[in-house]
Amino acid sequence: MSEQTSAREARDALDAVAGARREVAREVGLPRAYWWTVAAGWILVGVFSDLNNPWLIGAAPLAFGAGHAALAGRLLSGRQRTRGLRVSAAVAGRRPALVTICLLAALTVTTIAVALALHADGMRHPSIGAAVLVAVLAAGAGPDLSRMLSRMLSRTRRA
Amino acid sequence: MTAETGPDADLAGGTPRFDELIHPSTRLTLVATLASTDWAEFGYLKDRLAMSDSALSKQLTTLEQAGYVGTERRLEGKRHRLRARLTARGRQAFDGHVAALRQIVTAAEGGDNV
Repeated sequence: MSEQTSAREARDALDAVAGARREVAREVGLPRAYWWTVAAGWILVGVFSDLNNPWLIGAAPLAFGAGHAALAGRLLSGRQRTRGLRVSAAVAGRRPALVTICLLAALTVTTIAVALALHADGMRHPSIGAAVLVAVLAAGAGPDLSRMLSRMLSRTRRA
Repeated sequence: MTAETGPDADLAGGTPRFDELIHPSTRLTLVATLASTDWAEFGYLKDRLAMSDSALSKQLTTLEQAGYVGTERRLEGKRHRLRARLTARGRQAFDGHVAALRQIVTAAEGGDNV
């Protein structure tokens, strides 16, 4: 049979194989519930930060970090965004975890910047205001931001 | 040296061995999809390949009989869900088939250059 398979057929078959791999790669990411949970945690940290209790201000981000590490450790590989499949490690690569950590760092910096701006503007609860704003961003656009960052990283790697 | 991973990574190589069981287009896409996963559920495969329940079952049975695919029925809530995964033998056959396809393309390109 291989003798009867033309180069064009073989090329089409290889394209089909690459296409199937790309389709599976599109499934890489974190579940929507992850972003909702992060958003809820973010607001809680914001609320605790505005209570003016130094212990709570210090403990809230630590508790968030510990909770995140315990609950999201396995999700960060990005291999099981849905219940329909688990993407192989070879296809998922190490990028999803890196992208999510970069995104969380960027959200943290944004929260601090917004809180400082709101404080300077005389708002009574700047931490809550900043946390709610960033939580909405994380819950609404987390998956899109993650995909965008992933594409940027992939372009940088190719360049 | 570590193998490159990620969606842009090259497909795995293998000893070229054309596999007639894998080659038909629907089955090739099914096996290629399974090769990129640890496992996939029947529902995902059905949607991805736009196949009917019976057509997909038939393809999975053929591959299972050849020892290329393993299936597992899991009870989740009140529903049974079927998971399919490529066996080591199936993965080897798939890698060999992809290598054989590449060999055909390379040979043709070499012939074109003469």
